[in-house]
Amino acid sequence: MWARNMFETCLEIRHHFSDYMDDLCAPEARKSIRYHLSFCEVCLQQLDQWQMVREELRALPRRQVPPELALRMRVRVSQRVHEKLFSRLWVRFENALKPLLIPATGGVLSALICFCLFMGSRVVPVSDDPDVSVQWATPASVQELAPMDFNTDDNAVVVLTQINAEGRAKGYQVLSGQGSPELMQRLDRMVYFSIFRPATMFGRPTEGQVVLSLRRITVRG
Amino acid sequence: MGIARSVGITLEHTMPAVNEEAAFVGELRAGSEDAFAYLLTVYQNPVFNLVWHIVENSADASDVLQDVFVKVFKGIKGFNGDSSLRTWIYRIAVHEASNHRRSWIRRHWREPFSVDDNESPSAAAASEAVSSERSPYQVLEQAEREVVVKRALASLAPPYRTVVVLREIEGLPYEEIAQVLGLAEGTVKSRLLRGRELLRRKLAGYVGKEHV
Repeated sequence: MWARNMFETCLEIRHHFSDYMDDLCAPEARKSIRYHLSFCEVCLQQLDQWQMVREELRALPRRQVPPELALRMRVRVSQRVHEKLFSRLWVRFENALKPLLIPATGGVLSALICFCLFMGSRVVPVSDDPDVSVQWATPASVQELAPMDFNTDDNAVVVLTQINAEGRAKGYQVLSGQGSPELMQRLDRMVYFSIFRPATMFGRPTEGQVVLSLRRITVRG
Repeated sequence: MGIARSVGITLEHTMPAVNEEAAFVGELRAGSEDAFAYLLTVYQNPVFNLVWHIVENSADASDVLQDVFVKVFKGIKGFNGDSSLRTWIYRIAVHEASNHRRSWIRRHWREPFSVDDNESPSAAAASEAVSSERSPYQVLEQAEREVVVKRALASLAPPYRTVVVLREIEGLPYEEIAQVLGLAEGTVKSRLLRGRELLRRKLAGYVGKEHV
């Protein structure tokens, strides 16, 4: 009963419409307003009008910042952020570079692709043999020396041998030691039946020279 | 005849959401350009809308909006977190807009001016009519109602108008309105009551026409 009689007049009730709409009334006041509205047509109509005014206000289109103003504000903020000289210069440098970034990157990538395509056709063939060195240049060496016996003194025989790209001897020259016909004959046989590893340049076999120092092995017994 | 119709929306851009206001304020204080870009993206439209309702002119609202964000930028180091960032920005916006309006009235009080901001309801309706599903009559009627409501709102005294805009259009709670305006909550309530009642009287002949 108390809630029903909380407000005496319509004017008193209407002072609470604002709170009532915002759901801020105390439960008793709310009950009392509802009770009053149940029989007072004038107050009910006014409350309807209040609510319609609210709906009209909420339906108003919201103003949007024009795009050029939004851009201008971002520029102003950016200028404020980069007020210091170094920072400002850095931004200008970046802004100057940014337009070049894509063309420059494209140019570098294009050059790289062209280079790869061009060099791909001229790539040095690399042997499947993992022992083949692909370093800048490797000297010729002996892979398998043909057996030889020669009857000479204990001095070593030093032979400079020219090796072709296939690993075969093209010729030789005795640098030191006895150059007897017999020795030369044996050397001929040994050199031409030996197998050499050719010299390489960038992994590609090429002609080279190898110096052989031969010494007679004597076993006592 | 080709009629322009709205068939969808396009995503202009995206950015990561900011969940932690304190961290965000920290970034603003550190002068992060990205943080300010985010701040502008989030707040520029609501602040522009609020300012526009106070100064009632798009050109002036644009000037005030720029001043507001310059002040936000300058003053962010002094923001102590007593209120939310939104409250603080709205407080600056209301202050700037009120100052602008006062100085504008001092300068132009002899000159006649229109609260319509040179906006013709028929022109606005025509542009909307081609892009909406409603009939031209409905669009025109809606546009006219908007003009009437705007006029009624603009005719309110600034203290009432500001409170009504913050509550009804921006949807701020009483407590936040009190913080924005630097008023007691009771004062906000009484101003809102008075503002709503004045609007009801001004719009009594228009609102709910179709409902009667």
